[in-house]
This record gives sequence, structure tokens and C-alpha cells, in this order.
Amino acid sequence: MLKSKTFVKKTRSGGVMKIVREHYLRDDIWCGSEVCTECKQESTVLQRDACLESSLCSYPHYLIPDTNVVLHQIDVLEDPVIRNVIILQTVLQEVRHRSAPIYKRLKDIIHEKEKHFYTFTNEHHRETFIEREPGESANDRNDRAIRVASKWYSQHLKTSKSDAEGLKVVLLTNDSGNKQKAEESGLLVYKCEEYIKSLIANPELVDRLALSNDDKNEITASKVLFPEHLPLSRIQAGIKSGSFLQGTFRASRDNYLEATVFVQGEGEDSKEVLLQGLQNLNRAVHQDVVAVQLLPRNEWVAPSSVVLQDEGAAKDDEAEEEEEEKALRISAAEAARKPTGKVVGIIKRSWRPFCGMLNLSQIKESTRHLFTPADRRIPRIRIETRQAATLAGQRIMVAIDGWPKNSRYPNGHFVRSLGSAGEKDTEQEVLLLEHDVPHQAFSQAVLSFLPKMPWGITPEDMVRREDLRQLTVCSVDPPGCTDIDDALHCRELDNGNLEVGVHIADVSHFIRPGNALDKEAANRGTTVYLCGKRIDMVPELLSSNLCSLRSNVERLAFSCIWEINHQAEILKTRFTKSVINSKASLTYAEAQMRIDDTSKNDDITKSLRGLNKLAKILKRRRIEKGALTLSSLEVRFHIDSETHDPIDLQTKELMETNSMVEEFMLLANISVAQKIYDEFPDCAMLRKHPAPPPSNYDILLKAAKSKEVNIHTDSAKALADSLDVAKVDGFPYFNTLLRILATRCMMQAVYFCSGMDSDFHHYGLASPIYTHFTSPIRRYADIIVHRLLAVAIGADSTYPDLMDKHKQSALSNNLNYRHKMSQYAQRASVAFHTQLFFKSRGILNEEGFVLFVRKNAIIVLIPKFGLEGTVFFDSKDKAGPNLVFDEEGPTLTIEQHTFHIFDKVKVTISLDDSNIQHQKIRMALIDPVIPGVSVAVPEIEPQAKKPKLDR
Amino acid sequence: MATVQVSEAEKVYILHGIRDDLRVDGRGCEDYRHMEIETDVVSNTDGSAKVTLGHTAVLVGIKAEIGKPRPMVPKEGYLEFFVDCSANATPEFEGRGGEELGTELSNTLYKVFNNKKSVDLRSLCISAGEHCWVLYVDVLLLQCDGNLYDAISIAIKAALFNTKIPRVHISSDDEGGKEIELSDDPYDCMRLNVENVPCIVTLCKVGHRYVVDATLQEKACSVASLIISVTHKGTVTCMRKVGGGSLDPESVYEMTEAGKRVGKTLHAPLMKLLQEEESLGTKRQKVGFLG
Repeated sequence: MLKSKTFVKKTRSGGVMKIVREHYLRDDIWCGSEVCTECKQESTVLQRDACLESSLCSYPHYLIPDTNVVLHQIDVLEDPVIRNVIILQTVLQEVRHRSAPIYKRLKDIIHEKEKHFYTFTNEHHRETFIEREPGESANDRNDRAIRVASKWYSQHLKTSKSDAEGLKVVLLTNDSGNKQKAEESGLLVYKCEEYIKSLIANPELVDRLALSNDDKNEITASKVLFPEHLPLSRIQAGIKSGSFLQGTFRASRDNYLEATVFVQGEGEDSKEVLLQGLQNLNRAVHQDVVAVQLLPRNEWVAPSSVVLQDEGAAKDDEAEEEEEEKALRISAAEAARKPTGKVVGIIKRSWRPFCGMLNLSQIKESTRHLFTPADRRIPRIRIETRQAATLAGQRIMVAIDGWPKNSRYPNGHFVRSLGSAGEKDTEQEVLLLEHDVPHQAFSQAVLSFLPKMPWGITPEDMVRREDLRQLTVCSVDPPGCTDIDDALHCRELDNGNLEVGVHIADVSHFIRPGNALDKEAANRGTTVYLCGKRIDMVPELLSSNLCSLRSNVERLAFSCIWEINHQAEILKTRFTKSVINSKASLTYAEAQMRIDDTSKNDDITKSLRGLNKLAKILKRRRIEKGALTLSSLEVRFHIDSETHDPIDLQTKELMETNSMVEEFMLLANISVAQKIYDEFPDCAMLRKHPAPPPSNYDILLKAAKSKEVNIHTDSAKALADSLDVAKVDGFPYFNTLLRILATRCMMQAVYFCSGMDSDFHHYGLASPIYTHFTSPIRRYADIIVHRLLAVAIGADSTYPDLMDKHKQSALSNNLNYRHKMSQYAQRASVAFHTQLFFKSRGILNEEGFVLFVRKNAIIVLIPKFGLEGTVFFDSKDKAGPNLVFDEEGPTLTIEQHTFHIFDKVKVTISLDDSNIQHQKIRMALIDPVIPGVSVAVPEIEPQAKKPKLDR
Repeated sequence: MATVQVSEAEKVYILHGIRDDLRVDGRGCEDYRHMEIETDVVSNTDGSAKVTLGHTAVLVGIKAEIGKPRPMVPKEGYLEFFVDCSANATPEFEGRGGEELGTELSNTLYKVFNNKKSVDLRSLCISAGEHCWVLYVDVLLLQCDGNLYDAISIAIKAALFNTKIPRVHISSDDEGGKEIELSDDPYDCMRLNVENVPCIVTLCKVGHRYVVDATLQEKACSVASLIISVTHKGTVTCMRKVGGGSLDPESVYEMTEAGKRVGKTLHAPLMKLLQEEESLGTKRQKVGFLG
């Protein structure tokens, strides 16, 4: 039967078109139910015994949700308990129209066999198709279509002569008008909340319900806490006229009452606007795009250096709040004041499900609880749950539903549990999720592009490759490394010069541009190394086998070969694709032993000695040119092989061989950077490290001055030289501390496309040009560089995206983001393992140095563990000691004692697990002894002694 | 134009018959042949009608599009006509054979219908000087058996009656830029007032008398014909003489009077029919082209 659908559409040019689509109705669309005997279906989706223990519906039943239920309660529908659901085509189409991500999730559920979700194409069914009537809105028509289809189902199931009597369909809708009409036509209909609450056997589902806005409870909470957000039209008008600024909201990590909005301007015009106080933050959440209005100049404030954390139980009384806000207002020096503003509206929310933990409400029976996200920049979220007792102590994910203006906290709902807090797997999952690290297993589509095993080098592979299998190539890596992407060789030439080769795994041979494997790698951007776990950028077959330059197997490589004289001057450089056969995979320590062991004289050792000698010269020359040697403490865990718990922790030791490998990698990177830039000045992917603005050095200069040491920061060379001579008698660690501080002043190095930028300088390495070439297994940038170089030497063909500088630029932005997030994830992983370590070690007393001085705290570095911690001096519940903060020093005077940067202190370190929300390392002062502030050297229960010090 | 060969004897027979007010098919001089009208036959137009008159069949489709008003009349929309003489109607139209006739027909139709006395052109205006509705009237000749003008004009009137123009609203944004907004409801549309739309009556002078709705044979006997467009009140809005022969003033007067009379009686049943069909709504069984 043919019907036609008619609608009128506006064209882009402003015209109006009448569009008529043919719409065929059929009588062979089956109901999908097991009990049905009429429909001639081959397989069924809906089960015969569709039993869900519900106090409303004691009979077996199928559910039919309407569009709004799907849109708002997708989290509930995703629960494995909810099965035997009929998704009408009307609903599916509307969902698709309204929200692409929810549509995707719905499709995923439908494809899941165990969920028994059936899509009924009611719009093409002869008996359930309806035409829109005059005066009926599109929504009303769809509601009617849903009702008609539900009606059809209930009658169809009744007429089908089957033993499973009493099988019914239940329509779920939150629209009261729709519900009433459905009841009138004799349908079984419930509100979604009503129904979910009736599921006696599964009370946990209630938590997953999204709170609807018209919830009656909300109306009673009368007090309006926040100013209304302006409508989008007014925001847009305001931005256009310049009265508002648009920017990304960035909450402060240390102070929940403070945030900045980064306003992107043209060129140098970008600026930051400071926001202070809950009213001015006005319900913006980290990463939202907001519109801000600047306050009058006399209301501008300076960023406070107080560390403030949103505390304790849900406090709905604002008295405390105001006090906290007052703490912020301590008038700052006029000069330090920054443009300050307030949020007037939200342009785009960037809410995602957040990981975190539940704070139990103090009222035992309460179902409303606060959820504390793991990311401190995210405000706490109020959720409703009846399974609080089970969820306490678990890491859970919560999604924000909304933030009404009369609520102190946003409202959200429970999404899923990740596992018990403190467990390694759970915590790892949390930190991967929080840092947006793609860590799912590789999809079939990606794996399909892997080479077929057994893999071998074919004659075709050899056509454009040099055979370097006879060379004595070896690799030097950290112990346990399975993704070996670089190998080296060095041999004496007949003319007395040396030939040095750096051989890099030829990953671009396996990953061809544009396929699923390439796209996945480009998205992941980098391999992420966590303690005891590696999240690969490329599938393991490549990373640990075919691309890994293991010893005594033939591997494809991309080689960079120099002819160098004994003064380490480069005479010739060439690049070639090659085949190598590594003779040995050494660790740094093994290589070092070979070099030092004078009795050894084999080819590998000789080659290593040659490399080492050249590396020393290269390094010296580089430092002379002004390369910085900075310091940051890297921690290495000794992991128990059985339990995978850390048993010891030590800072990483650097050996000569480390710097030997590093030196040649730098050399290769620079040579390649020059080559690809010469060939492709517009689209070379390079890496730059901008010089930091002078103000970044303030803290370093102040700190050095306090020890009467002068640091020059005019150039990298001046900085390097003054760091070299900066020494204080009787304080051998001073220099390292200075270097740690200097590291903190630096800018982040970034990838960029040479056609989009003019400043190529790498500040830290003092090189005019630089790129990444040497680790294609774990960095995507290197793959791009490989491809560029391969095109430059005629070893491979090019493709359009490679030569498109805008696409390159977009790619490098993603790589920079992934790189940054992977570093954060790495740090978070180290921090977590440090906690595990201290958990097993109990309380330790260690010496440390003051690294920073804050208004109410000092930050202490423990060199032995490379650990940083905060010692707080004020606490909520008791009158704090007398604190005087001097910004010029900066110094902090407590009672009689004054803390400076670099002061040596003794602290006691323990794991604070009294509060499992956030387990953390707690430090308390032992020495110097300040009455009322420092603690006695603890031997007894530490928790009792320092309540709430830094929860 | 389709022609038939008529012998002298036949001509005499026809002429004598008409003199006695008895035509070959039994009609009187002022009678039309059997006529069938159906509206809303083409779904992707905004209004359409199909008319068969004897064996003559025409299809009219109207598409409404947004355009710019003519500079001289900024507050009015307008109509455009196109007549497609398909070779289906008669083999003579093959290739470019029907072009001349098509142009002649569409020019005449333009004269007859595109004026504010016939159609309320002001109602087609959306915003003065900027936007108006343009009604593209496409006429397709399906079969020619004489008296095309009358059939086409009736079909156009029926199609105009059937036309549903989507209702639009003009919204102006902050900078004064105007934007056209469409109603979300497909049933929310504007109808045209077709009360004053004229119908064309063609009178063929055969011998000393004249006939209405001439067949091809009668046409072959005629020297000239007069095209008169008449409104429901009997007002003549347009008149044109076609054909090679001449007409004396007296017979022009007579023929005009007859045209007025015939035209007036044509309108009332047509409107009644159209309204009846409209009132059936979706329950109406569509006949379409195969019926």
C-alpha cells in the first residue's frame, strides 16, 4: 500500500519547497515476540518469559519507552536488568534527530543480543502507520503513533493464541498528557520513575534515573543561590557588541571558589579573566564554554594563593560559605589585580560522566548524597541513590543532569561502578578515563590491517631498501623494554672516519595512510606508560614484534647514517630505508658494563665505545651552545612480581649510556628535521619549545636570591651557565633544587606544522630546528615525519593529507593534547603507586626541602622518593596559628618561625586513608618544632593525632 | 493544432446541422461535451487539476515558489504560465512542433489570468518589494480533440482552487534582516479566492451561426473563432479573435452575448463541483490517470 509523506522545507537560498516522499506500508512486519504464532518470523528477539519483578506489573511484560524516556533515561535502559524492550521506529527516528550520541548508544543496546531489544518499524506497518491530522503538531503525531503501536501490540499479543497468557505491553512515558490519552485508550502506561521504582528486585536502578527538572522537591527549595543565565540570543548579542567575552572556563585545581576564563583573541589578544566566588562562577563547570562580563575595575581582585577544598558534608547553610569567600577577599596589592569578571551565561556545556566517589550523607536514611569527582576542578554532584552503603568505597561514574539556580551543587545520576577504590585495576581505569586516554582494545577493523602472520621480508620489500643486515647493529634500552624502536651502529671506515647509523623501526611501512589502523593510531597519538602497564598506540603485534628491533631477527628500518670524523664533526648525512639484523638488545646497565669492561673487545663493544666517545663530544658541544640540563625527579618502582605491588621506590639513575643513546637520537632528529623542512617548507611536522616569558622566572629568581645566588635568564645559555655555578656551601642538593624549580618555569614543547608558524626554535635543546623521528612505535608524530622523509628520499609515495598544512596543524593539536594528557596520566599513576607504597610502609619520617611557600601551607619535596607534598598550617576546626605571608620572599611566618624556599624540614609521611574519598600522602611537620603546629615524632596511631589536617 | 480532413459533403452536412441547431453528435449550439474534473491529482504540486472535455484532456499543475515582486507592482505576486504540448496529445507536436501553439496558449493565458481583477495577487505578497509568491502554472496537453482554451481555463480555475500555499511568517532579527519562517504544520496553508477567476468560452463561427465547444470536424468548417473570458457575473474580461477568416461587427456582438450567457452558466456548476469534492477530504477515492 502506498502512502505519501508530504512536508515543506526551506531551501538554503531562502525558497520554499514542497517535498513528497513515497511511503510504502507492508503487512509482513513481524512483532518479534516468541509467543506470537501469527507472525511468520524466522527468529524472535522478545522472550516468552519477560519477567521483571515489578510491584506494578506482576505479569510478564514488554516495555515500550517513548522518545523522551529514551533520551533522558538511556543510562537506565543500558542496565542489563532492563530487557525485552520494544523500540518503535518513531522513537528511534526522533532520538536520532535529537541526539546523535544517545542514538549511537541506543543502537548499541539494540545490537546486544542479551538485551532483547526489538525495533518495530511501526511507520511502515499497515496497521500502525498514521497520518498527521490537521491541527496536530509533529510531536503529538509521534505520540499518537507510539500509542497506536502500543495498542496494536497489546491486541496482537492477546489475539495470538498462545499459552503465555497475560503477556502485556507497558508504555513508559513522562508526558502526563500522553499518559492520560494512553490510559483513555486502555493502555497500560506508567511514568518512567514510577515503573523503575517498582522494580523491587533491583533497587539500584533508581539511582540511574536522571532527575527531571520538574521534580517537586526542587520547588520547595526556595532559596535562589545563583543569578539566572542569560538566554543564548542575548549572549550572542553581547559578545558581538563586546560587552561579554566568550571563553573556556577553567576551574582552579587548588581553590574551588576560583577559576579563570581563557578568552581566545586574535593573535596576542588572548587574555585570562579571573572569576572568584560561587556567585560569579555561576554554575559553570570546568571546560564549559561560557560568556563572562568584566566587573568594574575597582572590583578586580588578585588570584588568591589560599588552598581551599570544598569540605565535608553537604552544607546547605551558606554561613560557612561566606566566610570562606571572605578569606579570598584579603585585599591584594594593586598591581597583582587581574581582570575579574562573572559568568553571565553558558554557551556550551562539556559535561561528561565523571569518575569519583560517594560522600555518604550524615543522615542515615537519606537517599541524597554528594559525589566527589576525582578531578578536583569538577564541583561535587548531588545524586540520589538507595544503594549508598554498597557504593561507598567504590569508584563510580556519575553524569550531571543539570544545575538549577537554587541548588548549591549540580544534580546528577549514577552511571556505573568501576570497582573498589584503592584497587589497582579500578584506579587505573579511573585515571585513564579522567585523562581521556583511549584504552579500549583495538577494534576488528583496526586489526584487519595488520600484516598476516607468519610475516617475512619479501623481495618486493627489498626493492627500495638497503641491505644492512651484515652491520653490527645493537639496541640499548631500559630493562624490560619490548617496543624497541631504535638501534645504533658505529664502525670505522677505510678513510679513518667513523660511520654512525641510527636505525629506527619502519612503522610507516606497516601503517598505511588513511586506513583504520592509521586513524586509530592518529587518534591515540602516543603510547601511554603507566606503572606496570602500557597502553599501546599500535596493536601489540606491531609494537612488540614486527616493528620492535629485537636482536637476531630481520627487521625493516629507516636509517639515518652519518660519516663523522673523530672530532665528531658531521661530514655526510644520508637517509635510507633498510633491513637490519640487530646483534644484541642491551639494557643501559649492560651496555655500560661492556664499555667499562676492558677485557671485552668484540664488535658490539667496540661499536659502543665509539658511540660513547662521540656522544660525549656531541653533548659537550651542545651544552656549550646553551642547551639546558634540567632536572626533575623520576621515580622508579620495584614491583613485586607476584602481587604487582610496589615494594620499593627509588629515583631513576642516569648512566652514561643513557645520554649516549639520547645524544644520537637528538642528532638524528635534528638532521631529519632539517631535511624535511628543506623538502617541504610548508608542511613539515616539527617540534618547538618556545622560550618562556620572563615573568615565568620570577619564582626561580626570588628563590635563588634568598640564598644570595644570581640567576640570569636572558638566554638559555645564560640560564644554563648561571645554573652551573649556582652552588651554596654545605647545601649540595641546592643545585638540583634550583634545576627542579627552573624546569617548572619552562613552557611546554609542542608539535606544529612548519607552514603555520614562523618560530621554530627549541629553547631547551638550543637547536634552531627539531622534530621527533626516533620513536614511531610510541608516537604518531614520528610516523608522519617518517612518511615525509620517505617521500623526500623517494622511497614512498605521498598522499593529499600529508601535504595539507591545515590538516597537519589539526593533527598536531591532537598530538599535543594526547601527549599532555598522557603525561598527566603517567604522573597520576606514579602518585597512586606512591600511595600504595606508603600504605605498605606505614609511617616514615624523612628529610625534605621547602619547594614553594603558599599563604597557608608549604610544599615540601622529599628527594629520597621524588615526592612532593603539602603541609597545611591552618585547619577548620580550631583556631589556626598566627600566619604571616610575605609575597616578596616569598616567606611564611608561623608564630615565631619563618619558612623560606629551600628550607630543610623534617616531616612525617603517612598514607591518609581515614578518608577513602581521596587517599593521599599526608605530611606533617616534625622539625622545626613550632608549638601547636608541628607534631611529635609519631610512633603511635597517626590518624588520631592530626585530624582533618589535609583531608 | 490538430486538424482533420473534412470532405465537402461532410462540411455541408455539418453546416446544415448547425443551422438547425443540431450538431453531428446531437448537441445544441451552446452545449458543452461531457466534462470530467478531478483536483489534487499530482501530489508534488501545490495545486493540480485534470480536466477531460470530450476526448480533450489537459493537466494543470501549480507550484508556488518564493520570488521577488515585479518592480512596478511591489505589493503583488504574479503568475507564470507554461504550456507543454506533449507529443502524446497528437503526433504533430513531435519535436518542436508544439512550440508555437504552446507560446500562443501561454501568452493568452497570461493575459487572461495574470491581473488583480481575476486573481487576488495582493494575497500572494509576503513582504512588499522583497518577497512574494510566484505561481508557476504548468499546463500539459494530454490529448487534443478541439476546444483547448476552454478545457485549459477550467482546469486552471480548478487547480487554483485546489492550491495550498504554505503559510509563512516574516521574522526580523536584530539588525533588521528579515527571515522567512515556515510553519511546522503541513496543514497550515493559505487558499486562494477563485471567485473572480474567469473561464474562457470559445465560439466558432460556422456558416452564419456559431457553436460552443467545437469538435475538430466543426473547427475545420469554421472560418474564425472568438475567445471570450467571462467571470461568474458574466463580465467579459478578455476577448480575442483567432483563425484566418473575418467576423462582421454584428456577429461579434451576437457571439459576445452568447459567450456571456454560456460562461455564466459554466461557473456555477463548476464551483459547486469543486466544493463538493473538497468537502470529501481524504475520504475521496482518487481516480487519477488510470481510472
